[in-house]
Amino acid sequence: MENAVEVKELSKSYGSLVAVDHISFEVKGKEIFGLLGPNGAGKTTTIRMICGMLRPTSGTAIIAGFDVSQKPQEVKRRIGLVPDISNLFGELSARVNLEFMGKLYGLDKKTRRERIDQVLELFHLKERQNDPVKYYSKGMHRRLTIAAALIHQPEILVMDEPTSGLDAQAARLVREITIDLNKEGRAILLTTHQIDEADRLAQRVGIIDRGHLIALNTPEQIKNSAEGMHALEIKILNEVDQQRWISIISGAEGVDNVFLAEGKIRILSKDLSQIIPAVVNLVDKHGGKIENISVAQPTLEDAYINLTGKSIREEPKSREEYVQRRLARSGLR
Amino acid sequence: MKPLTSLMHAFWIAENDLRQSFKSVRHVVWSLLFPIFMMFTFSFRYGAAEPDVRFISFLIPGIVGMTAMFGSINETMSIVWDKSLGVFDRILAAPVSSTSIIVGKTMSGAVMGVISAIVLLVIGSIIFDVSFVNISVVLLIILLASFSFTGIGTIISGLAPEPREAMMLSNLLRFPMMFLGGVFFPVEAMPIPLPYVARALPLTYATEALRAIEVGNTSVVFVDAMVLLVYTIGTMLLGSQILMRIMTR
Repeated sequence: MENAVEVKELSKSYGSLVAVDHISFEVKGKEIFGLLGPNGAGKTTTIRMICGMLRPTSGTAIIAGFDVSQKPQEVKRRIGLVPDISNLFGELSARVNLEFMGKLYGLDKKTRRERIDQVLELFHLKERQNDPVKYYSKGMHRRLTIAAALIHQPEILVMDEPTSGLDAQAARLVREITIDLNKEGRAILLTTHQIDEADRLAQRVGIIDRGHLIALNTPEQIKNSAEGMHALEIKILNEVDQQRWISIISGAEGVDNVFLAEGKIRILSKDLSQIIPAVVNLVDKHGGKIENISVAQPTLEDAYINLTGKSIREEPKSREEYVQRRLARSGLR
Repeated sequence: MKPLTSLMHAFWIAENDLRQSFKSVRHVVWSLLFPIFMMFTFSFRYGAAEPDVRFISFLIPGIVGMTAMFGSINETMSIVWDKSLGVFDRILAAPVSSTSIIVGKTMSGAVMGVISAIVLLVIGSIIFDVSFVNISVVLLIILLASFSFTGIGTIISGLAPEPREAMMLSNLLRFPMMFLGGVFFPVEAMPIPLPYVARALPLTYATEALRAIEVGNTSVVFVDAMVLLVYTIGTMLLGSQILMRIMTR
C-alpha cells in the first residue's frame, strides 16, 4: 500500500463557519502521521470526514484505495478509530463491549472469541474482562478503546488525541502500544495538541491551525523551518508568578516570542547577542534574580509558535472560534 | 449492504441497548415503579377504603397502555445519551447502515415498551383479577402502541441536542398524553375541546382498544389498531428522517 490515506482539498463548513479549509496530505503505508494543532483547529472534523462519519463540503479522501464519499462502508472496514473520549458502553463488561464491536464488523463467533482473547491479553485487561467498564480507570478505558478499534484488524488506525487526560504512566503505555502497532505494519494517523507527543511518535507531522494546514514535513524539517530562530531559556529565582515575567520580557527589543515551557521561560529571537543582555538587564531592573540561563535547541513547539505566532495551549478567544470548536468536537451537532 | 446483514446489525444494536438497560437493575425498577404506583393510587378512587372494582377494570388497560408509552420513550432516550457520551460514534464508525441503526434503536424501544406493559398486565391480573378475552390481540395492540411511542421517542431524540432537553421534551409530551389519553378519565367525559386533543394522541387509541378487548367489544379494536399503525408508520418515517439527517451530515 503506497498511501494509506490521501486527502485532497478537503473542506467542511457549517454555514458561514469553515471548520476545515481545503487541506491536503497523505499518510504513507507504514508511517505514523501526526496532525498537530490546538483544540478547535479542525483535527477532529478532519478525521471524522476521513472515517466516513461526516460528509465533506468539498474535496476527497481516499482511504486504502476507496473514496470515502463513494464507498464509506469499505473505508470503515479498513479503519480502526480511537476517538478522543473513551466511548464504551459503561454498564457492559470489556468482553461484551468487544463482542458487540466484533459483531458490527461482521466477525464470526470463533474469530470474535480468538480476537477478543488476543486483544484482552495484549492490553492487559484479561483479569478485569467481566467487570462493567464504568469501574475501569482512565488508562484502562483508553486501552480498551484502542482494543475495540483493533478487533477487526484494520489496515489503518486513526487515533484522536490518544493520550489526552491520561497520567504520565498510562500515556507512556499508550505511546508504546502505538509504536508497536506501527511496527506491525499499520499506518497510523493521530491527532494531538501535544507537541512533544507529535515529536516523539510521528514520522511526519502536519500542523493545522484554524482549519488550514500550515506545515507538512518531518518533525526535524519543521524544527529547521524556524530558520535563524534561537531559543533562550531562563529561570527566575524563587519566582511563582511566571506570567508576570513573561509579559515583562515580551516587551524587550528583539524578542519574538516568550512562553512557558517545562517550568522555564522560553524566549525566541533571531538575535541572541542582542536579547541576552537586554533580558538580564530587564529582570534586574524589575527586582528579579536569574537562577539559570541557557541557550536551547529549537523544538517543534518553537517552530509551531514561529509558524502560527501563538502557543498551542492558547484557547480560541472569539465566540465564532468557540462555536467552531464545539461543532467540530461534538460531531453530531 | 445485504438485507440480512443489515437486519443482523439492527438486531445486535437492539440487543446491545436492551442488555445495557437490563444490566442496570435500578433503571428497570424505577421505570416500573411509576406505573405501579399510579395503578395502586388510582385504584382507591375518591378516598374509598376498598378499591373500586368497576373503576379498576377501567383503569388497568389505561395503565398498561401508559406503561408501554413510558417504557418505549424512555428506551429511545438512550439515543440522546449515546450521542452525548460519544457511544453513538462507535456505531457510526462501524460499517453499519443508517437504516440498521434506526431499526435497531426502534426495536429496542418497542421491546422495552412491550415488556414493561406485560409486567403491569400481569400485576393487574394477579392483584385485581382483571382478565382479557383475547390475550393475543392485547399483545398486538401493545406492540403497535409501543412502536408508535418509539417513533415519538425517536423524533424527540433526533431533535434534542442533549439529554436534559430530551427529558424536558419527552415530559412535555408524556404527561399531557397520560392525563388526556383516557388512562384515568374517559375521553367522552372531558370538556370540549379536550376530547379533540385526546383523539390526536396514540395513547387514547391504545387505551380504548385494550378496554374494548377487556369487555369483548372487537368492533372498535380494528379501527384503533389501524390508527396506531398509521401513527407508527408516520412517526417512524419522521423520526428516521431526523436521525438520518444527523447521521449523514
